[in-house]
Parts: sequence; structure tokens; C-alpha cells
Amino acid sequence: MWLFLTRVGAMAGKETLHIRRDPLTLWLGLALPLFLLILFGFGISFDLDHIPLAVVDQDNTTESRELRQLFTAGSEFVFAGALDNPDDALDAFAKSQAHAVLTIPEGYAAALSRGENVEVGLILDAADANSAQQALARADAFAQLASAQAAQRRGLDIAGSMPVSARTWTRYNPAGRSALFLVPGVTAYVMALVSVLLTALAVSKEWEQGSMEQLFATPVRRAEIVVGKLLPYLGMGIIQVLLVLVAGTWIFGLPTNGNGLVVALGSLLFMVGMLGQGLLISIVARNQMVASLTAVMTAMLPSMLLSGFMFPVENMPLPLRTLSNMVPARYYIQVLRGTLLKDNGFAELAVPLMLLAAFATLMMVVSTVMFKRKLA
Amino acid sequence: MSEPLAISVSGLTRSFGDNQALKGIDLTVAAGEIVGLVGPDGAGKTTAIRAIAGLLDADAGEVSVLGLPPDSAQVREDLGLMPQQHSLYGDLSIAENLNFFRQLFGISRKVGRERIDRLLGLTRLTAFVDRPAQALSGGMYKKLALACALLHEPRVLLLDEPTNGVDPVSRRELWALLGEFVGDGMAVLVSTPYMDEAARCHRVGLLHEGRMLTMGAPNTMVQEFDHPVFIVLGGAREHVQAIVQTAPEVRAYSPAGARLRVVVAPDGVPALTDRLRPLGCTLQPARATFEDLFLAHLAEA
Repeated sequence: MWLFLTRVGAMAGKETLHIRRDPLTLWLGLALPLFLLILFGFGISFDLDHIPLAVVDQDNTTESRELRQLFTAGSEFVFAGALDNPDDALDAFAKSQAHAVLTIPEGYAAALSRGENVEVGLILDAADANSAQQALARADAFAQLASAQAAQRRGLDIAGSMPVSARTWTRYNPAGRSALFLVPGVTAYVMALVSVLLTALAVSKEWEQGSMEQLFATPVRRAEIVVGKLLPYLGMGIIQVLLVLVAGTWIFGLPTNGNGLVVALGSLLFMVGMLGQGLLISIVARNQMVASLTAVMTAMLPSMLLSGFMFPVENMPLPLRTLSNMVPARYYIQVLRGTLLKDNGFAELAVPLMLLAAFATLMMVVSTVMFKRKLA
Repeated sequence: MSEPLAISVSGLTRSFGDNQALKGIDLTVAAGEIVGLVGPDGAGKTTAIRAIAGLLDADAGEVSVLGLPPDSAQVREDLGLMPQQHSLYGDLSIAENLNFFRQLFGISRKVGRERIDRLLGLTRLTAFVDRPAQALSGGMYKKLALACALLHEPRVLLLDEPTNGVDPVSRRELWALLGEFVGDGMAVLVSTPYMDEAARCHRVGLLHEGRMLTMGAPNTMVQEFDHPVFIVLGGAREHVQAIVQTAPEVRAYSPAGARLRVVVAPDGVPALTDRLRPLGCTLQPARATFEDLFLAHLAEA
């Protein structure tokens, strides 16, 4: 036992020296997670925010100006200027001066005062389909609001004229801010990428530089090589999780609900699984180039595309949905979103936690079996 | 009961795909003995050493180290290996590399410090302990690798081309170091492509294309070598070479200064003399060397 600890310590200490001497590894491990968090948090936002709205006001009355103000009063749309003609909309889109054009037809105020239905036009640049859809919903709500105001002005009872008013509200993420939704996803994605990549590189490097031959000729056991090599990267992974969660809280106001133990256990299980996957890749590849490519293909892409990080698993076609069942990041994201946003505990998250544990066990067992103490 | 041989190999065969690297070799090394494995590149030296180190499985044949299978845990405690390729950690310093292997072998800090100090002194690396391995010269790197392989005082030491890419002075130093350790009863198997190093071994095996051509003590082998060796005197070198190249009785030839050195089949001297007479050449007898013997064996293989 004492020898086991000594040799694991020797391996881990040596690996730590490698990491400390290789600035690239350190940067990859510590700066990349933050960089990706900020990139995804701010850059890939599904939020409707400050959409430039051009207005074609053909009515030019107090009522039409009120409607314009109604649209631009919130933070969703900003007034980007007036256009003379709805046909100029495409031009404004092409020049990126506006992403939406509101057209108020002549006779708008008159129709309102007569209590007639009137249609206003909203032309949307749907190149960003996500934002366009949200803008449409928003515009609908504004139109209803404008109708209500017009009815009120004519002295009608609002409740009478509009017996049903639609209202939407979101739970867990009340502002509907996608950053909150994304932070757990980014955490899982970054951990998957960095853990698998760094481990795959670290172990295949031993093969490539020939030191595995020397290691195999010493009394060090395979389990000692594995544990010793993975420990420093586990430590790095723990720092990454803390870093990303702290930064998520600080920059994006991620709520810190839930049981910290569940987060810690889920993170640990997920990381061991990812380290095991990296180890397995390096055992099969024995070459840094192939190992890193395989790591990117098997860890980065599924963790981004099939984990529910960016696209809801429920909306995927059946084959992809089936495939996503095998992506551990999916369960880790469930655990993180469950605890941080919904205050779930062990009881609610038992299934994803067990699946994470199963994946970790599988990876470690398979890679230990595959790791032969032979050069060929 | 007699002590088992340090290394015992019989009928060792190993292929990589279609390439038969070893075609059944036999080999023994006793305690306190340096045995050389001499052969050109691709002869199978590295494969043989890796099989003895337990890093490759044999397709057929027997390998035992200290009477045990080579991949048993006990063998790894008693075996030192210095691989041919760079196998230390380039970004780690001399001291860090040595300390890493000290820990892997479970050597206490106190004992380790004494041994490391002694090995650094012997290899004259003391002044460079903080230098990263990748910044060492070829000779210094090999000496460090040797020190790492000797740290746990192995009973069996395997060296795969330890002097490859090392300058002549460092080569001599490395061999002198080996001599010191063998005095303590260590068994050494060393592979080398250099003929002159063969003479430093107690016994030498000539390995060629996966077969052991001959094996014995280098002095005895040279003494018993029955091929006459000559220096060709006179005649234009290119004309002499043209004849020597095609003469069936010439087993091997090599340049000796401006002249040619030829190894002739035991009964081929009259024929060669006749052939060279028109050029006005005479044959001056020379003492056979290990290289002559080696080249003749390769030619006759």
C-alpha cells in the first residue's frame, strides 16, 4: 500500500511538473474555460435584446407615434430611424441598419377611433430565426397592448372587449435569459473538451516520446500509472468547475441554488468519466495527433451538439436523441441545471447521477483492460 | 541447486506482421558477464532486448530472466533497461528524472541520495543536475539514462545501443562505467552496431536478419577464425576493387587507408593471387580483427 502511494505520488508529481513547465497546457486548462464561458455567455445569446427597428409611419398621427414608442420603450427593440417606404426594408436589412421594420398604414388613427380592425406590418430579418421568432411574439404582445389602449381611449371596458388576455411567464429563469441556461452547458462542454483532450495528450505523449518503454520496465503497476497520471488533471478539472461556476455567478448572475454536494458529486463523476475517455483514446491511438483529433470528435462535438447544451434533446430526430443518451455531458447538464436553477436534490437527480457513475466506471474498466504492459 | 542464469533465451521467435524480426535465437548471460549483441540495423537487436525486458511477447521460444518469466513483477525489481530511443522526460531536469525513478523503485530518500550522488559523480553529471534532459548533449543524455537504469542496482542490465550517437570519448566513459558495475556481479546484455565495442564484451553474438550467426568470446573467435586476411599492396585502387568485388573467394573487403583489406576463403588464396598478378599487386598478410570476422560471417550467411 505504501509503495502504491509512493508510486502514484511519483507519477502525479512528475505530471504536475509537466503541466507547470508547459504554459500551453495551463492556459488550455484554466483560461480556455473562462474564455468559452464569456464567449458563449455573451456571444451566443438567444435573448431578444436591442433589435434595431426601423419605422415606416404613413399615418403620422399621435396614435401612430404612440405605437412606435410602445415598441421601443422596452429593451427589446431600439428605434433605428424612419423609412419612407416599406420597400426600403430590404435595403435596410442588407445594410444591417435594421433587423425589423414596423409599417403603420395611413388611416391607422382613424380606423382605431372608429373601432375598426387595423393591421400594422412587421417585416423581420429572419436570418437569425431564433431572434425573429421571439421578436414576432413580442410584437404580438405589443399589438394587443395597443388594442387595449385604443379601446380604453374610446371608453370601452377592457375586460369586456378583451375577455381573454394571454400572458406568458417563465419559471426558473424568470427573465428568460439564455446565459443562465447556457452556463451549466458551457461548464459541461468545457470540462468534456479539456479533460478528454488533456488526458489523451498526456498519455499518448508517453507513448510517442518513448518513456512508456522505460516506465514498463520499472515495477510501477498499470493502475499506478493510470491513477498517478489522471490525478493532476482531476485537480485541474475541479479548479475549472469552480472557476466557471464562480465566473458564471459573478458575470451572469447564475443563481447558486441547490445542494452543493450534488454539484460536487456530479462534477466528480463526470470528470472521472471524461478522464477515463481520454485515457482510453490515448491507449488506442498512442499518438498525440490522432488522440487529439479523436478527443475533439468524441468529446467536443457530442458535448456541444447532443447534450442539450445548445439544442433541446426533445427536439432532436429519433436517431440523434438515441445517440444523445450515450453522451455523459447530457446528464451532467441535467444535474447542473437541476441543482443550480431548480434547487433539485439527490432524489430528483438520482438517475443522471447514476448514469454518470456508470459511464465513469465503464471508461475506467475498459481502459484498464485495454492498457497492456506491452509495446506491441 | 545452482543459481539460475541471469538471462536464458532459447528458440525466441517474433514477427511484426509479415516481418520476421527474430527467427529463433538462443542466448545466455550469466551473473558478472557482459554479453554483446552485435549486428547491423534491422538485425533484431531491439526486438530481442524488448522481449527479454518483458515488453514484447514471444511468438515461440522461451525467455527467462533470473529463472522467471520476463514480465513477472519480481523481474521488474531486478532488471534495468536503457532503451535505444530517448525515453526520459525531456522537460524534467537530471535530478527530477533520477528522483522520479528512485520513487518508482521504492528506494528510500536516504539510500537514494547516496546512490544518486555516486552515479552523478561517476557519470560526471553533478554540475548539470538542474539542466533539463532535453538540453543535454547526446553523450550526457545516455549517461543520465544509464544512471536511471542503474539506480535500483539491478542484477540484470539491458542496454540497447547505449553508445549510438555518442562521441568516442563518452563511449569510452560509458564502457568504463559498465565495467565497474559488472565487477559487482551484474549481468549485462548490450546491443551495439559498433564492432570495436564487441571486443569489450566477455562474449558476443552476431545477429543478422533475426538469426544468431555465431556466438563466443571475441578473442577466441578471432583466434579460431580460419580465413586469411590481407592488405592488397600495389595496383590502382579502382582496378583492384573491381576484381575484389567480383572474386568469389573474397568473403569481405573494406578500405584500409588508401588500400583495400580483404578477407579470403580458407582455400581461396592461390586463386586471388592469380587474379591480382596482372595488376602487379601483392598480398600482405594482416591480423584478423573482429570486424573481419563479422563481415565474413555476414557474407557467408
